[in-house]
Amino acid sequence: MAGAGKRQRLALRLASIPMGLLALSCLYPMFFAVNNALKTRHDYLLDRFGLATQPTLDNFAQAWTGAHLDQYFLNSVIATVGAVLLLMVVSSMAGFALASLRFPYRRFLFIVILSSLMIPVQVVLVPYMRTMVALHLINTHIGLILSYTAFFLPFSVYMMTAFYSTLPRELIEAARIDGAKLFQVWWHVMVPLGMPALVTLGIINTLNCWNDILIALLTMQKNRTIMVGISALKGQYSDQIPLFTAGIVIAAAPIVALYVIFQRRIVSGIAAGAVKG
Amino acid sequence: MARVELVHVKKSFGNTEVIHDVSLSIEEGEFCVFVGPSGCGKSTLLRMIAGLEETGAGDIFIGDKNVTDEEPADRGIAMVFQSYALFPHMTVAENMSFGLRMAHRPKAEIADKVGRAAKILRLDDYLQRKPGQLSGGQRQRVAIGRAIVRDPKVFLFDEPLSNLDAELRVQMRVELSKLHTVLGNTMIYVTHDQTEALTMADRIVVLRAGKVEQIGSPLALYQDPDNAFVAGFIGSPRMNFLDATVTSDLRISAGGVEIENPTRTRLDAGMRLRVGIRPEHLDETGGVGLAARVDVVEQLGSTSYVHATLSSGESVIAEKRQSPPKPGDNIMLSFAPASLRLFAEDGTRIR
Repeated sequence: MAGAGKRQRLALRLASIPMGLLALSCLYPMFFAVNNALKTRHDYLLDRFGLATQPTLDNFAQAWTGAHLDQYFLNSVIATVGAVLLLMVVSSMAGFALASLRFPYRRFLFIVILSSLMIPVQVVLVPYMRTMVALHLINTHIGLILSYTAFFLPFSVYMMTAFYSTLPRELIEAARIDGAKLFQVWWHVMVPLGMPALVTLGIINTLNCWNDILIALLTMQKNRTIMVGISALKGQYSDQIPLFTAGIVIAAAPIVALYVIFQRRIVSGIAAGAVKG
Repeated sequence: MARVELVHVKKSFGNTEVIHDVSLSIEEGEFCVFVGPSGCGKSTLLRMIAGLEETGAGDIFIGDKNVTDEEPADRGIAMVFQSYALFPHMTVAENMSFGLRMAHRPKAEIADKVGRAAKILRLDDYLQRKPGQLSGGQRQRVAIGRAIVRDPKVFLFDEPLSNLDAELRVQMRVELSKLHTVLGNTMIYVTHDQTEALTMADRIVVLRAGKVEQIGSPLALYQDPDNAFVAGFIGSPRMNFLDATVTSDLRISAGGVEIENPTRTRLDAGMRLRVGIRPEHLDETGGVGLAARVDVVEQLGSTSYVHATLSSGESVIAEKRQSPPKPGDNIMLSFAPASLRLFAEDGTRIR
């Protein structure tokens, strides 16, 4: 047995090598971006991969104001926050209805919503654009918020329905007997109990909305979001890699921060103790 | 307080009828227990009274009001669930006050009612805790507390003790009976455990496959069952059943002996019957004796249960309060013919 234990430890140690390489492949691009964003153009041309010798924040300042990233950043914040909140509210209500209420064609509706998950965005771009133009939603924040909500809703509804299906029905029945109307059941019971799923959903949707280029490119043609702005930087400032990487760092920072802050909330579940445990 | 009346109530799930034309009335202040094997429709019937299941046909009255189409909250009922159904994100006080808060009652009234219920249920020290920090018994008391503060006309309990361990169940059984005495409300209690039914009920409703088999006081059901199902379901260990044949209109043969017909009914010779006898009635000193061989003896301290095989090959259980035999012994199990219960082949009682 001792021999087997030793062999197992060795195997585990060996397994950590590919894991380490995987982690490195994730971290290195971040390091590359931050490191080069701190270099002057001159420093970068002299040594692309070395550490920044005279770190400067000039690139950040220039990208923020000179390349209009400040305006783009604000556009992204408005669209992302708006869409994520709207997605949370709508998917939580729809998930509650689909998981807990009995109404005609419930299963059929759920299947229709699920099936829209399988249609790629690119397929519906033409009817989507025609609708947006007809509704005068092109180049508006509302248009982008509604577009994100529409495109990311099926997955969100699916996830909330799956989560709410695991909650005991008695919780809703107990609330109904205590006189709570449907909306009150949703607000006082389903929203707080759905928090772990809603937070996870919020993070996934924040990533999706913030990182999106395609929908933003079509909807906000005059007024860019940050990811569209960054893509445009590539053409405009292709000889200014430090400036470009500073833009990338600015664009990625909120997502990284969000992930670090909410990491624990994703893992923890507050539903413990609902039933005998 | 209110009486509850079900009039020709029916319920189907799809094409399957689960409640077949049930009519019964539960008196004001009565502790009524619905009991039956799993799938008999007892929980469905309770949920129909609560308004959590729609009533297919018939009417449900609570007090003088027809509540068949009323919302659960408008029926004047409170329900305690098997899983407790406490809101895990709320404290004990918030759980108990939920209904009052939904009704927008004044804060002072809420605090007063929660305080009083907490006192009755000895939950004063736990009001600020979350359900996850409580034991099973405490959670069950919170669920009862949530029902009490609503001041309902009728309490509904859906197998509330099933999730508790044996010792706590006995304790909560006594507490619920005390609570009924203190509050005096009408209570309807669903269980599959006939011991709970016998110990707590003023009246028991025995259900099988969506039909009422018998309604009566615990003793009436135990001593005078209407059919073989009730006789076998009520009582632990269950009643012994022996195959019997009528030899003449005055005598029947069962378990290898001939006895006089203990009923007032004239029986036809050759008729096949089932004879029921409770384990405690096989411990007489006189009367008719059945020769048996002891298989197993279960010692319970004050009494013991003897599992034995009769000369006819049928198995019986007998209760022996004194000097229990040993496995392998040949014994005589004596009984008074009057303690026999006779059932026709279809299970109906012959009196």
